[in-house]
Amino acid sequence: MRQFFPVEDLARDDRFVQTNMAERMSDTRSAVDLQRTAKSRGASNRLTPDRHDASDAARSLMHGIMVGEIQALEGAGRTAHDFDAGDGSEGTIPFELKLDMARQAWDEARHVEISVKLSDWMGTEIGQFQENTVLFEAACSNDPVLRLAGVNRALEGLAIDVFTQMKEFGQLADDPFLEFCEDWMLADEVTHVKMGSDWLRRVTENDPDRRAKALDFQRVVDKLFSFGGARGESEESPIGLARRFRELAGFTDDEVDTIAGMDHDALEERKEVVRLARETADV
Amino acid sequence: MGADTTTDTATDTSRSHVRAPFAPWDRRDLPGSFDVAETARRVGNYKWTEMKLFEALGGWVATVPELDIKMRLGTHCYRHAWHAELWHKRLPELREMKPERLTAPANDAMERFVAAMTEPEDSGLTIEKLVGVYRVLIPRFIAAYTYHMNNTSEITDAPTIRSLKFALQDEFDDWRDGELMLQSLIKTPDDVRRATEHQAALEDIMVEAGGITGPGSIGPVQ
Amino acid sequence: MTTHVTVMPEQFTLVAYDANRIAAIVRDLASLLGLSNPMAVEVDERTPLSKMSAVVAGTSSDHTITLRLQSGALEDTKHLTNFSEAHARRSLGQVMLRAKDRLRPDFADAPDDLALTNAQNTAWDVYCGGRLDRLGLDPIQQGYRYDFRNRFGFSDEVDCVFDQLWSADDLGWHDLPTVP
Repeated sequence: MRQFFPVEDLARDDRFVQTNMAERMSDTRSAVDLQRTAKSRGASNRLTPDRHDASDAARSLMHGIMVGEIQALEGAGRTAHDFDAGDGSEGTIPFELKLDMARQAWDEARHVEISVKLSDWMGTEIGQFQENTVLFEAACSNDPVLRLAGVNRALEGLAIDVFTQMKEFGQLADDPFLEFCEDWMLADEVTHVKMGSDWLRRVTENDPDRRAKALDFQRVVDKLFSFGGARGESEESPIGLARRFRELAGFTDDEVDTIAGMDHDALEERKEVVRLARETADV
Repeated sequence: MGADTTTDTATDTSRSHVRAPFAPWDRRDLPGSFDVAETARRVGNYKWTEMKLFEALGGWVATVPELDIKMRLGTHCYRHAWHAELWHKRLPELREMKPERLTAPANDAMERFVAAMTEPEDSGLTIEKLVGVYRVLIPRFIAAYTYHMNNTSEITDAPTIRSLKFALQDEFDDWRDGELMLQSLIKTPDDVRRATEHQAALEDIMVEAGGITGPGSIGPVQ
Repeated sequence: MTTHVTVMPEQFTLVAYDANRIAAIVRDLASLLGLSNPMAVEVDERTPLSKMSAVVAGTSSDHTITLRLQSGALEDTKHLTNFSEAHARRSLGQVMLRAKDRLRPDFADAPDDLALTNAQNTAWDVYCGGRLDRLGLDPIQQGYRYDFRNRFGFSDEVDCVFDQLWSADDLGWHDLPTVP
């Protein structure tokens, strides 16, 4: 088995169709009102049960969660595999970090199980929607510290936002399973973010350059995971930024503010791309 | 030291308010087959092999297309990591202050076995991956752990026995899971051939290794 | 007699849809449903959402039925911006069943599609879904059930109402359940 595993080779059965961020962003249709500015008022795009397309949107997001959990499982498994146990230098990781990654693999496996059951409950078929492999890409770095930043802080941070949104959805709809399951998964994700933050700090304790590089990488991944502003504090974003749970997970106010700013920029950039595409297409 | 030391005290009931230190139903005894050094060596072999196993399971998750198997491998990955952690923590209690020193394969053949077991990567080789783990390695774990548990001192080495029992419970569960997955995958004569040929190739190396802790894994070498 | 169908736009630029293919599906479904009205299909390709509505100009068979769909209603969700024959047949079948219902006198009181409440919309969708199932268009019943629970509540009683609605074939607007 190879030491590092490329995203293109992720193994799936025939039901799954994969895509990537570039393909996803080349779709210039938009559900966002282009006339609206970030400060203007109007109907919210938040994923709540009172949206006319609430169930469809929730199903699509649940499928996204399921494939995201599959990739998170694969990412954690690969990090447990790809690096020898050592002192953290020269491509090694501490033995205890390997153990934590194995634990995370189990947690993510349970999350896949939960997501599959919830998808079934909501009437979604496995593979019904395309799978964006951007999450696993964050787990492909040859530097384990970048993986901690990209996966445990950026990806799992996104999971905190998504699960919080879905938990609220379940709460408002009075769905007996959705809120229950999302709350359990949320607890795991907060643990994973804390775990990532702790290890990032410990492994780079005497290497400020490496830490800075990892945090830069996290910012890049965080912006990608904004999905063109689909996640953000603006009401135009279907998924909110879960400040309280992010704080529980160890994000500082400044860090959350930075992510909120990137989300806002990503939304405005996306709107500009869509506007230009529509002008070009003359529709 | 004789094995009867507990018997006399256990039957001394002349003063009813004095209870024997070993109750009548407690038949644990002192003798054991392994001294501290030998126990540490075995535990170091266990840790190394459990590590290699959880690394392989974690690495394979991305390579298997079957969703149910992908999830099982992720679950089993943690169980074996936990076993490695149990043995890692036991080593300093066995006078090995540098656990990495004893975290080693029993011999070169064992190292070759792990290399051969972890070689399949292609997404079409799930049978081979599972055969190596669930039909060759895990049965060897069950054998070595059982032998150790039944032959070590029940009193002096109780901490190892406790860990062995936890680990064995997982090994049995995983073995059953793996066998079920394999039986569901092996459907044609060609599948049978693939499974048996791969098992035979791996067994050859495992026999050469003598088991998880080398010759003597399940009893004195004849 | 072949139903007259127009599709707008004639050329799609943001999605890979073919107006002729959409028209052919509408003609086929019209034949299946026994609808002979002229059909005008309008697809909004600027949005990936999947809202649909039907407007009936009158209740006779020569009145035009206008079907308005956002592009997501016809999309292959495994290959975004591409057309899905199966998804299109289910979506168009659903909105055409609604149009057919509106031709009946006992649907005269039904508000315009875009004026329906979420609960009214869902109840009518479920009534259509069951009929689509019996027509062989293969809708995912559990999806409809989840929508219905979201609007009417998660309880055994609500599930019983769903089952009745799903198996019904001859209801009027006032037979559809309303939120208590």
